[in-house]
Amino acid sequence: MNFFLYSLLVLSVSIVLLMLTSRSKKTSEIIFLISQVTGCVLALISAVHVFVSRVPINYRSNFRMPVGEFYVGVDFLSAFFVLTVTVLFSLAGVYGYSYLKEYEKKNLGAHYALYNLALISLLLVVTAKNAVLFLIAWEMVTLSSYFLITFYDKEKAVRKAGYLFLIATHTGTFLLWIMFLLMARQSGSMNFDQMALSSFPLPLTGLLFILGVIGFGVKTGFIPLHIWLPHAHPVAPSHVSAVLSGVMIKMGIYGLMRIIGIIKDFPEWCAVVLLLIGMISGVGGVLYALGQHEIKKLLAYHSIENIGIIALGMGIGLWGQFYHNEFVALVGYAGALLHVFNHAVFKGLLFLSAGSVIRSTHTGEIDHLGGLLKRLPWTGHLFLIGSLSICGLPLFNGFISEWLVFRALFEGIFDSQMNALVFSSLSIIALALIGGLAAACFAKAFGAVFLGNSRSVENAQVKENPLLMCAPMVVLGGICLWIGLFPATMVFFALDAAATISSVKIPPAVAGAIMIPLLTVILVLVIFTMLVAVLFLFKRIAMKSLPIERASTWGCGYSVPTSRMQYTAASFAEPILQIFRNVLGFDVKGSKPKGYFPKEEKISSHVLEASEDLIFRPIFQGIEFLTAKLKIIQYGYTQLYLLYIFIFLLILLIWKMV
Amino acid sequence: MLPVLLHISVVMILSPLLLGIIGKTKAFFAGRWGPPLLQPYYDIVKLFRKGNVYSTTTTWIFQAAPIISLATVLISAVLIPMGSFKAPLSFWGDIILFAGLYGLARFFLVIAALDTGSSFEGMGASREATFSCLAEVVLFLDFIILALLSKKFVLSEMLEANILSSWPLFGPVLLLVGASYFLVLLTENSRIPIDDPATHLELTMIHEVMVLDHSGWDLAYILYAGAMKLFVLGGLFLNILIPSHGLSPMAQTISFWGGMIVLAVGLGAVESCMARLRLNRIPQLLIGAFVLALVGLLIILVKGV
Repeated sequence: MNFFLYSLLVLSVSIVLLMLTSRSKKTSEIIFLISQVTGCVLALISAVHVFVSRVPINYRSNFRMPVGEFYVGVDFLSAFFVLTVTVLFSLAGVYGYSYLKEYEKKNLGAHYALYNLALISLLLVVTAKNAVLFLIAWEMVTLSSYFLITFYDKEKAVRKAGYLFLIATHTGTFLLWIMFLLMARQSGSMNFDQMALSSFPLPLTGLLFILGVIGFGVKTGFIPLHIWLPHAHPVAPSHVSAVLSGVMIKMGIYGLMRIIGIIKDFPEWCAVVLLLIGMISGVGGVLYALGQHEIKKLLAYHSIENIGIIALGMGIGLWGQFYHNEFVALVGYAGALLHVFNHAVFKGLLFLSAGSVIRSTHTGEIDHLGGLLKRLPWTGHLFLIGSLSICGLPLFNGFISEWLVFRALFEGIFDSQMNALVFSSLSIIALALIGGLAAACFAKAFGAVFLGNSRSVENAQVKENPLLMCAPMVVLGGICLWIGLFPATMVFFALDAAATISSVKIPPAVAGAIMIPLLTVILVLVIFTMLVAVLFLFKRIAMKSLPIERASTWGCGYSVPTSRMQYTAASFAEPILQIFRNVLGFDVKGSKPKGYFPKEEKISSHVLEASEDLIFRPIFQGIEFLTAKLKIIQYGYTQLYLLYIFIFLLILLIWKMV
Repeated sequence: MLPVLLHISVVMILSPLLLGIIGKTKAFFAGRWGPPLLQPYYDIVKLFRKGNVYSTTTTWIFQAAPIISLATVLISAVLIPMGSFKAPLSFWGDIILFAGLYGLARFFLVIAALDTGSSFEGMGASREATFSCLAEVVLFLDFIILALLSKKFVLSEMLEANILSSWPLFGPVLLLVGASYFLVLLTENSRIPIDDPATHLELTMIHEVMVLDHSGWDLAYILYAGAMKLFVLGGLFLNILIPSHGLSPMAQTISFWGGMIVLAVGLGAVESCMARLRLNRIPQLLIGAFVLALVGLLIILVKGV
């Protein structure tokens, strides 16, 4: 535990120092790097120590606030999230230091301080044992993220995105306050362990669940609450996008898991709601991603897709908990948790490598790039690893967590409950569809950006980025492969954390039932890799005596192909989007050339953001309309306001007497 | 290890024959004598003796894709029971792993096509990615049904004893599964009416266009992998349709290998009688396959397992 507190201490001190030294670039950089590395390593050690020693630890300070207190604890669930937060934060921090070097004029000390503040507040969110402390930390996360997102605050789009983020997450926080107050009223305490002891009656749990799903869901980006996400992620600096997408949005998942762990008995429909959210967010996220042509926006939508997969795991876990099917509950939660970690790693990797592309070429438009694998070999290959992981393809970590979710869902269909069968089947189909679509989307992104020929002349001469940007990506890529090939450690960590949520002890048979097929998978993958090696060697040896020619790509008889004739990302995704055109909706401007002698025509088409245009814009326009009506009681006379106060007090008095 | 090697070698040796039979059938329907039965072997051997031409645009990905594709199909062969040969390897969720490996191979073939920087191949890659998404969903739905019938999620257990006991009770369901799986089989192996394996010089082709730039050993690997993929997926199809479990080894062998020949002749007949569908009809066909399987699932839901 001490390690964890030291970590908080180091980071807090570093914030103060960074504020003081922000004028000297060199000093603030050194303080930032040292504090990031030591802070994260200390917290990481404490988290791993919790898993190894199997003793959850608590720290309760004497310092008390009127309703809350400084009460933090690291149990398995918290430790798992501490692990996720620290791994990504430290690596993205080192990357960010190198990434931001070109912004000599900016006050980077403030940025570094805010980055450390975000880290502290995230660590506090996942370890807080008191609702008030939790909400304070939650607010600190929101505020520090806001300033991190609006780093390029000279641009209008950036300020707008930051503002949207602030409004959306505060709306969520408002609901969370209500939820925690209701829980405190029921249990008589703001402390989580006290709340966990009391029992919640049935209609109340449903209400709490709804409040939690909406309140946490705004931050997490469940469809249709995700509207801030695709705006905020692309405009932030890439290392910030990485931590936003990898860690910050997972706080909603943590919150939901914590609530499930406290309340325990939810009605069955709650599980169904989570599964439905998972399916909609998963499939919707990847479909919107297919329609994007800006690389970071595409990645932002993929975060929604992965949140969907996590929600599927949680939904089936909650379902298992409802029917006292411990196996399904454990595997479902463990799959969701492992996907939280995996997504942090591979999405972090993808955002960092996308940032590397943008820093080198100064554009994120997929259809302006091309052929970068030769120019940016490190970035390109790491982006490939990230792509393979996020598509859930074997050999990489995404496959392992999706495997666990599949496992839980397939166990779900064997249960004799009709509902379970229907919803598990639908979820399996959704998960299969998500996998296929994600593969198409990343084939598009990787192919258009890194393969073929450069689509613009300037990009033909770009250079690879410095070592300090590549090294963190290499580590993240290494973690993808490590979990893909040696999943045991992380699966056991995830199972421990899952057992904390469903508050059961893991039966010894369960570990075997999960691990044995998983180890067989690894065995097959090893044989597969050996086969690949053998086939490669065969070819290598045989080709020694055969001629190898180098020529240009066959242009079907056309002799002067240019790089602009390559298939674009937009054309690549078009057939899939056409299939789903009724769900997505397009905004098409212009028209196709008509007639035998067509005149010049222009056409542009964008995928519509349905929840933004159809749900939120009307709601907020309605609110604006109503508040405009309220103006009639605003005259600006002080006397009148005094009268209002008097009337209000009178009403309160009468209400009290009645 | 020995059964694994035996299984893989049987598939390696016999799979191109299936293409030979299809070719002969098509020739018969066209009233021609056609290429010899062993032509696919000759083609592959010929390619193994040829040199390679690589585009200057391509990277290592272009050369890796054929290898990964062949390795995937080779290793997936061990899952399929072939007559009296039991599947040498089976474990919980083997199907998920193999769907994943096929996905990996497809991903590499698609990005290898994009690696050439040719719009023609990009087009093929885009279509392959599109249709395989839909095919994968149908495949998973089929396996949900088979898993429901057997209460297991190990491929060979879902097939062998279970198929035998399910036919009397759930015959219609299995027929629906068979029909929808057959459409997946056609899609995955790029056969008519989804795709035409005979030519690439049409703007409507899918798979053949995607591998247009491959030559020599790479093309040989791709063709060989294609032949084996047809064999493996076809073998799975036969295992669903022919409940041979419990028969004598002799009868099992005859029913499997006889079934294989009938399947090849059937595919040849389908290809001779049908034209390739227009491209925008293919999603409809696959959604049709999905609906067929969904009806199967509904029957199970109504009737109860």
